[in-house]
Amino acid sequence: MTDSGDTAVTAGLRDRLWQAVLDGDAYTTTDVLRQSLDAGLDKETLLLGLVAPVQEQVGLAWAANRITVAQEHAATAANERAVTALIPAASARRRQRGRVTVACVDGEWHAFPARLVAEVLQLHGWQVDYLGPQIPVAHLIDHLHRTGADAVLLSSSIPARLPTAHAVITACQAAGMPVMAGGRAFGPDGRYARACGADRWAADARGAAAALEAGLRAPGPAAARQAVDDLPHLADQEYTMVVGARSRLVEQTLTDLEKDAPAMQLYTDVQRHRTAEDFAFIVDFLATALYVDDTDLFTGFVTWTADVLEARSVSARCLPPGLDLIARQLRDFPRATALLREGAAAVAARPRPGPGETAPGPGGVA
Amino acid sequence: MVDREGRIVEANDAARVLLPGPAGDDRASEDLPDWLADAHRRMVGGPGGTHVNALYGTIGERLFEAHPTPSSDGDVVWWLIDDTDRRLAEASLRSEQERAAILSEVSSTLLSSMNVAHCTEATARLAAHHLADAAVLVSPAQGRRFPLTHARAGGPVTQAVRTVDPATVPGLVEALQGFPPAPTQWINPDDIPAWAIPLGFAGQVGSVIVTQLPGHSEPNGALILLRAGTGRAFTEGEEAFTRQFAARAGAALSAARLYSEQARVTATLMRDLLPPDLGGVHGVEYAGRYRAAQDDQRIGGDFYDVHPGADPTRESLVVLGDVAGKGLDAAVLTGKIRNSLHALLPLAHDHEYVLNLLNAALLTSHHTRFATLVLASARRQAVRVRLRLTSAGHPPPLVVRADGRVEESRTSGDLVGAMPTVSARTEETDLAPGETCLLYTDGITEARGGPLGRELYGIERLKRDLTGCAGMPAEAMVERVHMLAAQWLGRGRHDDMAVVAIGAPKSGAPTVVNGDTRPRNTHQRQRRNP
Amino acid sequence: MTTPAPEFGLVVTLMPNVLIVEVTGDLDHSTRDRLVRTVVTHLTPGTVVRRLRLDFERLTWIDSTGLSALLMVHRHARALGVGLRLDSRPCFLDRLLDLTGTSAYLTAPVEAVDGVSGSEAG
Repeated sequence: MTDSGDTAVTAGLRDRLWQAVLDGDAYTTTDVLRQSLDAGLDKETLLLGLVAPVQEQVGLAWAANRITVAQEHAATAANERAVTALIPAASARRRQRGRVTVACVDGEWHAFPARLVAEVLQLHGWQVDYLGPQIPVAHLIDHLHRTGADAVLLSSSIPARLPTAHAVITACQAAGMPVMAGGRAFGPDGRYARACGADRWAADARGAAAALEAGLRAPGPAAARQAVDDLPHLADQEYTMVVGARSRLVEQTLTDLEKDAPAMQLYTDVQRHRTAEDFAFIVDFLATALYVDDTDLFTGFVTWTADVLEARSVSARCLPPGLDLIARQLRDFPRATALLREGAAAVAARPRPGPGETAPGPGGVA
Repeated sequence: MVDREGRIVEANDAARVLLPGPAGDDRASEDLPDWLADAHRRMVGGPGGTHVNALYGTIGERLFEAHPTPSSDGDVVWWLIDDTDRRLAEASLRSEQERAAILSEVSSTLLSSMNVAHCTEATARLAAHHLADAAVLVSPAQGRRFPLTHARAGGPVTQAVRTVDPATVPGLVEALQGFPPAPTQWINPDDIPAWAIPLGFAGQVGSVIVTQLPGHSEPNGALILLRAGTGRAFTEGEEAFTRQFAARAGAALSAARLYSEQARVTATLMRDLLPPDLGGVHGVEYAGRYRAAQDDQRIGGDFYDVHPGADPTRESLVVLGDVAGKGLDAAVLTGKIRNSLHALLPLAHDHEYVLNLLNAALLTSHHTRFATLVLASARRQAVRVRLRLTSAGHPPPLVVRADGRVEESRTSGDLVGAMPTVSARTEETDLAPGETCLLYTDGITEARGGPLGRELYGIERLKRDLTGCAGMPAEAMVERVHMLAAQWLGRGRHDDMAVVAIGAPKSGAPTVVNGDTRPRNTHQRQRRNP
Repeated sequence: MTTPAPEFGLVVTLMPNVLIVEVTGDLDHSTRDRLVRTVVTHLTPGTVVRRLRLDFERLTWIDSTGLSALLMVHRHARALGVGLRLDSRPCFLDRLLDLTGTSAYLTAPVEAVDGVSGSEAG
């Protein structure tokens, strides 16, 4: 979403916005944005050249443990409020291009990128129905039938929601609607969007606008299909089994770790709970990597988890043995054990980042 | 029997009928059809004993299979077998298969969408592609105007609403009536008015038929199919096929109409049951969020409202509650409670009294479905927010202090709607800038899940998680709590979950930013006017 | 922790003038009607039963619809002059009754209708 070509955005402006957002101060945030508009910044540059990069910085700062979860939420809320206050509702604007629906994958909390896409498309003359986060698939489909949108833009930032995203994509297409996917969850080059059969992938809001202007063809009757038609490896049931065994896997891994690592027996309930959560996330990502059959997705997540843990001064030492313990429970699943082996190797081989250099995570741990 | 020179030297009666010519048996080879004459020449001209397989060709309008039997003197006896009927049967079978494939495509295309405009567009497009050179779909009238959809084979589909007289197309009025069923009509191309010819239609209109799109006895539209002058006329078989096409398109269109109508009714009835958008009122921040128990529903047994005070010196009343039960039944009862409380607003200075009146209004002999709720009266005083909190059988509100302490309010009281009278104790507290009071339903605290699967989230864990939320704006805290509960749940089933935060702003003017800080959301259009 | 809750079940014991219903499992949205139906079937006008005892020894969970069932049972019993007792209450049930202010109401002694309260046999 970042576009460094927006030279009109000065570093000073960005710093002021960053500070206001960091304080969770919607009033000052709104003031900074209003002054930028008054100074002649156009709305699209404001959204994509100023608001979006600052929002991305918020995520990076959290991953590097420079701000708390509370600050992250407050910052996002401040940004969102300011955008609402400054960009008038679309009703007054001319709409000659057509009507699109912008939605997040159900279970998605990072709705702000979708919100920015919705605003930018409105600026480009589209009539946009922005459905926000936490929209059940049934509502989305109902909305499409009622409004007869020309296309659906689906945003997701959490790769663990990819199986759900896939279900949403096929459901929209079965309803005769072309789907454009975007957001971090779909991979840096959109490879998971293709794996899930999306009609198009867009790297950012401007890309989405350009793709819409080029036109999206409505899918034919052949679009009605099942997950395994797109992803034949699902036939091996490994994904289904791992999802079903999630709680058991986590519980057994913790029990085994405590046996092997006496230090863990001294953990407080809170620490034990956090560790359980970390492994629950790992199992979620393992399942997702099995779903899209992609090793990078899993190794990327475990190395990122290791970085985040260390940014919070928690040793990532229990990660490789933990991965090994999960692998032992899944020894009958060749794809899963291979992923876990790769994951452990990636954690071990990872270069140590200095403080503040933590790479942006694939999201999920919040 | 044909001799070396290709002369017919002998023919039986059937052959004579088939190859009429001058009397006598000796006739020139010109009398033979070309394909047979060629084969004959090849046979007699080739090296001895050249074998020629059976071959096919037409004579007049019919198709024949020809088998040669050479005789020793060089003559050839050609046995002609009439093959027309078998070929026709095969061709019609092939086209039957094609038609079945087309109908199946039509059905899957049309049934995938429940949107009337999309179905109409697809019907016109498919009709122009498979049945004719162009198609015009006339939808049921809207007053005196008719939505018209024009399509040309390979061309764009255009939709417009126009005032036209359907009587100018013979048979169209009947077809548009929906009932009784109107037969398909062939129409004189000269009778077609200009509005029924798609723009860009090349050449003269050659043949036209009008067919009804049958629905559930109500008007469902009609289809006008046009072929160019040079094109073929519609055959009887094609007319039958058109009827089958129209039956499928009509079924899909009337299903889409029914769905739209029901969706409209549902949306109307639902509007008052959806949770409202909240924002800043009289210098106090409010935020609310709701998640229904059934993930395919938007309403359920939890509810909340903020009723702004008449002016900034008056208290605003916040209500958050939970009706025993789930889904539509529970939602209807929440509607009743919300309306009753709205009517009781003038008495809101006495929470216990309001609760007793509400209790009396809800008591019925039919059931003991009760509600638990929290009433919160909030008023900005300088930089602080004064709060009066009353729980009616509801989990106590939590106050997140600036230093991260989380206090459980000590208000308590009886649930409403099941006992003859109720009592309740109101607690007063203040919020300093940046502090927040959180109201929630037990769907949050009774969320079952966690990394190990079946644990309750619980009030203690909620309080611990909230200590990390000190200083958060109301909007962010509400989102945070929902997110914590959702993560705790994982894929687990859950009850309705509602959260409302009342916050004392950290800084800034005591009025809201730009007059309206409520989020835009197409699902939450409702504004409750106090 | 991951052991599944036991199946919902009701065991009814009818003594000369006491009806005992033992409740096993979760009393919630999906099971509440069975409790109400069972009580209504066994307590009909003119019943000789003077006291209804609900035994919650093996209750695993109760939600608000379960509580509304208890209120319905209470109302039905009262109308027939039958006293209600909630026995062996797990702590989550007590917490719910306390929170909703229904504890005293549900367990208040029935005004002596005909003086037989407390005369339950063995």
